[in-house]
Amino acid sequence: MFSQLKSRFGSGLAVGIIGMIAIWLIGLVILPQLLMVDYSLRPNLLPADIGGPEDVYSLTNYETLFSNKIHLAIFFKTIWSSVLVTSLTLVVSYPIAFYLAKVATPQKAALCLLLLIIPFWINEILRTFSWYIILAYKGPLNALLLGVGIIDRPIRFLSGDGGVLIGMVYAYILFMIFPIYNAIESLDTNQIKAARNLGAGWIRTHWRVVIPHAKPGIATGCIMTFMLAAGSYAVPALLGSPGSRWFTQIIYNWFFEGGDWNQGAAYAFLLLVICIGFIALVMRVFKVGLGDIAK
Amino acid sequence: MDSSVHLDNTVMQFGDFTAIQKTDLKIESGEFFSFLGPSGCGKTTILNMISGFIDPTQGDIKIGGQSMRGVPANKRPTSMIFQNLALFPLMTVAENIEFGLEVRGVSKSERKKASDRLLELVALEGSGTKKVSELSGGQKQRIAIARALAVEPQVLLLDEPLSALDLKLRQHMRTELKAIQRKTGITFIYITHDQGEALTMSDRVAVMSAGRIQQVADPITLYRDPHTAFVASFVGENNAVAGKVIEVNSEFVVLDCGPLGKLAGRCQGNVAVGTDATLFVRPEHFRLQAENGMHTLQATIDEVNFEGAYLTLNANTPANQALSIQLGTHQFSDALQKNAPVSLSYNEKDAIVIAGGGHV
Repeated sequence: MFSQLKSRFGSGLAVGIIGMIAIWLIGLVILPQLLMVDYSLRPNLLPADIGGPEDVYSLTNYETLFSNKIHLAIFFKTIWSSVLVTSLTLVVSYPIAFYLAKVATPQKAALCLLLLIIPFWINEILRTFSWYIILAYKGPLNALLLGVGIIDRPIRFLSGDGGVLIGMVYAYILFMIFPIYNAIESLDTNQIKAARNLGAGWIRTHWRVVIPHAKPGIATGCIMTFMLAAGSYAVPALLGSPGSRWFTQIIYNWFFEGGDWNQGAAYAFLLLVICIGFIALVMRVFKVGLGDIAK
Repeated sequence: MDSSVHLDNTVMQFGDFTAIQKTDLKIESGEFFSFLGPSGCGKTTILNMISGFIDPTQGDIKIGGQSMRGVPANKRPTSMIFQNLALFPLMTVAENIEFGLEVRGVSKSERKKASDRLLELVALEGSGTKKVSELSGGQKQRIAIARALAVEPQVLLLDEPLSALDLKLRQHMRTELKAIQRKTGITFIYITHDQGEALTMSDRVAVMSAGRIQQVADPITLYRDPHTAFVASFVGENNAVAGKVIEVNSEFVVLDCGPLGKLAGRCQGNVAVGTDATLFVRPEHFRLQAENGMHTLQATIDEVNFEGAYLTLNANTPANQALSIQLGTHQFSDALQKNAPVSLSYNEKDAIVIAGGGHV
């Protein structure tokens, strides 16, 4: 890499570029992470005891999670709910992405994209709060459903996981739509016509031609949505009920309420490891390589 | 089985733009029929209407006598070979060929039999397990043909499928397509802007311009007796000379072509004395020696091009009428040189006069 950069920009600039990348990667990404790993392996001590005889490396912080039934349940619920959020987002996003990429005229597609993006100019907390209002017990959605006569008494959307799921699908929809849109856009429209021409109905055309082509985009969207959902804090904090806590809230509590950074770091790492493992598994199952996603 | 295609007073409009003017045309069962025209003339629109990707604004498409109105693309007895072939890159060759059968619920073993048989037809036995990307351009072409034939269509639609191939391969594929058409007896509808393809393969050709069919005829008639000035200049090379009609008899029309004198040719359609008309003479109909019944033009040679079997001359008359002439190589002599004078004669039976000026 250095020789390529050197031949293009000269050695001075090449050193500069590489240096900046190195500072960014090492100083801002790798070192803080290593610091957190280090934290997670030490006990939580008073400042005076740090470096003392009790300050030894151990896996105690990691073991805490497995001995705490409630935390463990929330941990798996977070993973499972994130899978659910990802699937729901995919189901909602795929038709939109297909419409934008292959059906809509350029003007309509541009308008739709604008309409999709505009809400994201508003702060995430505020957007989530608007859902809080919409989904409230005496909120507009219940009023509408009551008015139309679909229900005869208001639904408590915010008491279970429902509110969190809706809020997250909404919050991450763009991260799903754009990669899929890009992938479908690069599909030659004649491929769709050819499938139709050979007698395939719409479902089969999508299943055999469009989806296999869009697979890298779908995988990218799913990975982003899954990671964001599993690591989300604002949506569960605002739309969740006490019974639907997210694992990130527990990590937050360790850091800022329990004051136990060491314990919090261990929890955060467990979440990270499981998420990465889960993604690797999904990529394996769907036969998607890292190279496909980078495309 | 009747696999004729009938464009029954079909009109296709996109907003204010009329892509296909009212057209009534019957393509016979088992015919190799071509639509020939420059890009944007509406020929692809016709193919899209027949295959069901778009529905005509007015009129109907009938296949085998059955109206296709409201029949979606995946339920029509047609199959198409796309300009870019549109093979499915993520499937193997065999999966590509079998796709249409898979859709129809044909069993795996039957599908395998069919794809083996088709691979043999296109002379690519044993390529079934290959990826599409491993094939050469010509092989891809054949797989596209095999895939389209696998569904046993009544009508095969071909959208300039040879345009991506090099010249040699293209000529070879022409022969092969024609042979496959004869073997299968399927109605072939071929779209092209390449007159060579249209003339060599087709039973009949429809020449199109600006959404209108100008003439439908077999290739020889089309070349010899073009009905319109567009056909005369689009199909093959032609020299167009404008003039005023001064005499019309049962066979010939005489034009006053100003400084070029009086020239005559066969009459095509209605030509009235006193109106503008255009005389068309093909480059290969010029002779260097005048014989009886011939008309002669005096010109100066601008350029001599040796093309192997023949020579082409670009010449200019004193009245600034550009002419192109094609001569057999045996007629070459040292006298044919840039800036040399030349007298060019043609037989009036070989020339055609079509009403209307301004085609030059």
